[in-house]
Amino acid sequence: MNILNNYFDGEYLEFNKDNYSIKLKIEKIPEGYIIRGKVKGKLGKIDIFDDFADEDLFINNWQSWSPTKKIKVLNYKYNIPDDWKKTAKYSAHPMPEYLENNIISDYFIAKKNKVYGFLTSKIAHPFFEVKDNKIIACLEYFEKNADEYIDIEPLIILENNEMEKLLEIYADYVKFENNPKFSKWNPVGWSSWYHYYEELTWQDTLKNLELSKEYNYEVFQLDDSWQKDIGDWIPKDSFPGFDIIANKIKEYGYIPGLWLAPFSVSEISEVFLKHKDWLVKDENGEPKVAYINWRKNIYALDTTHPEAQEHLKNIFLNMRNNGIHYFKTDFLFAGAIPGKRYVEVTPIEAYNIGMKIIREAIGEDFILGCGAPILPSIGYVDGMRISADTAPFYKPNDLDFVYPNAYYALRNVITRYFMNGKWWWNDPDCLILRTEDTELNDKIIEMYSYVSGLLNNMILQSDDLSKTIKKDVYFNSLKLRGGIPHVKGLMNDNYSFEIEAFNTNIGNVKMHVDLEKINFKLEYDEDYPQLNKNTVLREEDNRLFHYYEERDNNA
Amino acid sequence: MLERRFNPITGEWVMISSSRQKRPNLPKDSCPICPGVLELPGEYDLVSFENRFPALKKDAPNVENNSNVLIKDKSQGICEVVVYTEKHNSELSYMPIYQIEKLINMWADRTKELSSYEFIKYVFIFENKGKEVGATLPHPHGQLYAFPFLPPRIQLKIESLEKWYSEKNSCAICDIVKEEKEQNERIVYETENIIALVPFYARYPYEVHVYPKRHVETIYELSNKEKKEFAEVLRVITNKYNGLFNMPFPYMMMFFQKPFNINKTTHFFHFHVEFISPMRGPNLIKWVASVESGTWAFINPIEPEQAAKQLRDVEVKLDEI
Repeated sequence: MNILNNYFDGEYLEFNKDNYSIKLKIEKIPEGYIIRGKVKGKLGKIDIFDDFADEDLFINNWQSWSPTKKIKVLNYKYNIPDDWKKTAKYSAHPMPEYLENNIISDYFIAKKNKVYGFLTSKIAHPFFEVKDNKIIACLEYFEKNADEYIDIEPLIILENNEMEKLLEIYADYVKFENNPKFSKWNPVGWSSWYHYYEELTWQDTLKNLELSKEYNYEVFQLDDSWQKDIGDWIPKDSFPGFDIIANKIKEYGYIPGLWLAPFSVSEISEVFLKHKDWLVKDENGEPKVAYINWRKNIYALDTTHPEAQEHLKNIFLNMRNNGIHYFKTDFLFAGAIPGKRYVEVTPIEAYNIGMKIIREAIGEDFILGCGAPILPSIGYVDGMRISADTAPFYKPNDLDFVYPNAYYALRNVITRYFMNGKWWWNDPDCLILRTEDTELNDKIIEMYSYVSGLLNNMILQSDDLSKTIKKDVYFNSLKLRGGIPHVKGLMNDNYSFEIEAFNTNIGNVKMHVDLEKINFKLEYDEDYPQLNKNTVLREEDNRLFHYYEERDNNA
Repeated sequence: MLERRFNPITGEWVMISSSRQKRPNLPKDSCPICPGVLELPGEYDLVSFENRFPALKKDAPNVENNSNVLIKDKSQGICEVVVYTEKHNSELSYMPIYQIEKLINMWADRTKELSSYEFIKYVFIFENKGKEVGATLPHPHGQLYAFPFLPPRIQLKIESLEKWYSEKNSCAICDIVKEEKEQNERIVYETENIIALVPFYARYPYEVHVYPKRHVETIYELSNKEKKEFAEVLRVITNKYNGLFNMPFPYMMMFFQKPFNINKTTHFFHFHVEFISPMRGPNLIKWVASVESGTWAFINPIEPEQAAKQLRDVEVKLDEI
C-alpha cells in the first residue's frame, strides 16, 4: 500500500532517497512518540524528522566539556576564536566545520513545551539542525556502506508544558533503551588537578594523603602528572610504580584512582614513534591530528586495530592488576574522530569498540568519563563529567565554549542535571574549597559546592590540603546529597534557577541560585524526627532486623 | 515449599508458602513482638524485620520448571514485619503524632532501601488491624511486601493512570483531588497538603483514600511538613473509624507507590493510601463473596457521600488523644 507516495507495509513507512532506502515507524507512548526505523545504502547525513522551531531553544553540544544552554536563535553564533579552532579540532565536534556554520544541537534539543531527543548513538552521530525556523533531526553516518537494513538511532518526541520534566522523561527513555549498568557507588574523594595541574609530585601526594584524614574521602585520585607521556601510560621516573602508588593510597583507606587519556597519543610518545599503524589516519594514510594540547599534536588510537586493542586492554589490566580501581578517562572524544581505520566502521562504532575494551578490562571498577561524547558513553562509564573544566576563577563575560571557567562549569552542572543517576553519576568537576591561590570568593565556593551536593552529584575536592580550606562547606555539601532533585528555570534568560531536592540527607531542600548575580538562598524543610538505623543480622535464621530510633543530636 | 506459580488464565502470580501455615494464632500469654519476648530481645523504638514466615525471601530456593504450561518461579522478594512502637496496648489511633511521623520516616527509609535491589519491582506497605481481617497480633504493627513482580491490581493502577495521562496529559489523582475539593461532598478530613476522602468510586462502605495534594510518586518524596500532616491524617482517620460505631474498627491500610526497577515510565503514579474495612454497620460485615471475589466487580451498599458524612461527623480531638 502507498501512503503519500511512500510504501507502507503495515508496520513501516518505506521510501527511497538518492543513495539509501529507509523505513520508519511511529510508536505511541504516554508522553508522545518514538520514531524507530531501518536504513540501508550508502549512508551520509540523513534527515528523518522536522518540526517548527521557537525563537528560544535549549541546545546541547556533543561532549562532556561542551555547553548545554538556552539560546536565542536569531543571530546566534558559536563565537569560537580562530586560534582555538586550530587547536580544538575534534574536541569541538565530530564535524567541526559543520558546527562552525550552522546552529546544531547534538543528541537532543528542546523548546519550552517539547523535547526532541535521540535515544542511542551506536552507529550514527545524531544531532539536530536549526534552519529556516525548523528543527531538523539528522543522523550522520560518515559514508557508511550498509548492504542490509540496519536500525536507525530511535528518536523520541515529548510534549508537555514543563520542559524540565520532559528532559527527565527523556533521560528515562534513554535509560530504558541503553539499559546501563553502572556502579551504585556515588563517589566522594580528592583529585590533584585543580591545585597541582601537571606539577604534582609524589611528595605532594604523600603530603596530601597525610592531611586528608579528616575528610573521610572514599577515593584519592592523581590527575595528569604521573605518566611518561600522553599515550605512554606508565609512571614517569619521579613517580613510583602503580603497585606502590596503589598500596600507599590504600593505607589511608581510600580507593586508588588515576587519570589517563586512553585514546590519545602524543607526537613524541613511544606509541606514536613505534606504532603509527595503530592510529586513525587521514585520506592520505597519514596519522590524523585529533587535537593539540600539552603543546603537542595529539593523535587518536585506532580502536579497531587488533594490536592497538591489545595495547589498550593491557594498559588497564596492568593498572588494575597493580591495585588501581578508579579510572578518570579523559579526552575520550579522540576515540570518535572521523578518519580511516583498520576496519571500516563509523567513528561512533569505533568509540563503542574502544569503550567496550576498557570496560571489559577493568570489570566493575569505577570509570569516570571526561571529554566524552554523551550518548555513546552510556553503559560504559560509571560517572561522567557533564561540564567544562571548573577553575579557580569565575568569569561571566568570557567565551562560552569548553574553556575552564567555574561560571560556565556550574551552569552546565545545572543544565545537565537530568542525566544524573539514570545514565551515570554526574561529575560536576572538582570543588575548589581553599581560600588561598584562588580568585573564587566565599559565596562562589559555597554556591558551586551546594549546587553539586543538592543535585546529588559526585563530590571530589581538589586543593592542596595544607592551605586554608572551607571544610564546613565540604561537609555541608555532603549533607545535601542523597535526594531526588528537580530544576526549574532552564529556559530563563539569565542563569537563575530553582533547585528542589526531596529526601536529601537532611530532608527536603530548596535552593534559589543566581549565577549572574552570584547569589543563592537555601530553604530547609521543617524539623523532623531524625532516625538512626541499626541493622542486625540474626544468625540463627539469617534474618535482618532494622532498628530505628531517634538520633540524639546532642550526643 | 516456597515458590510462585503462574496462572495463564488471569496472568496472576500466586505465592505458595507452606511455612505460613505454621504461623501461630494469638499467643496465649505473651506477645512475640513485645520487648524481650521472642523476636525482639531488648527495648526498641521502632523496628522492621524479616518475617519468620515469609511468602517471599531474599534467598528464596531455586525452583525447576518442568512444564511450559504449569510455570513456576522462585519467590525472591522480602517480607518484613514493621513494629510501630514497643507499647503493646497502642494503635495508630492512640499513638502520638510524633511517633507516627517517625514511623513514616521508617516506611520511607524501608522503601528506599528495598527498592535499591534490582529484583524488587514493588514495595507494598500495609496494615491488617483486627481479627476480622486476619490480624494475629494486637501489638501495633504492619507489614511490608517487596515483590519481584507487579501484582495485578498494581498493574491495573499503572495502566489506568498511564491511559489517563496519555489522553489528558495530567495525573488522574491530581485531577480527582481538584474535583473532589470543588464538589466538597466526600471529604472526610483535610490539611493544607493532605486530603482524606471516601472516593466517588468507593468499593467498600467505609473506604477512605488519603492523597497528598502535591504529585509525589513515593512516600519518600513527601516533605517533612507533608509527613507531619500525613501522620495527623492517619491518626484522625483511624480514630474516626473507632468512633463510627463506638467499637475497635477493623481495617486494612494499604500504601500504593510507583513501581521500581521496571523499564517503563511511571511518573504519572501518585502515591496514595487506601483504607478499607469489612464493616458495613455495627456488627455487620460486608462479605467479599462470589461477585467481588470472582469478578472483581464490587457492590457498595452505602453511598460514598453518606459514608463520608458519617465519618466527617465523628468528632476527633487531636489534643485529647
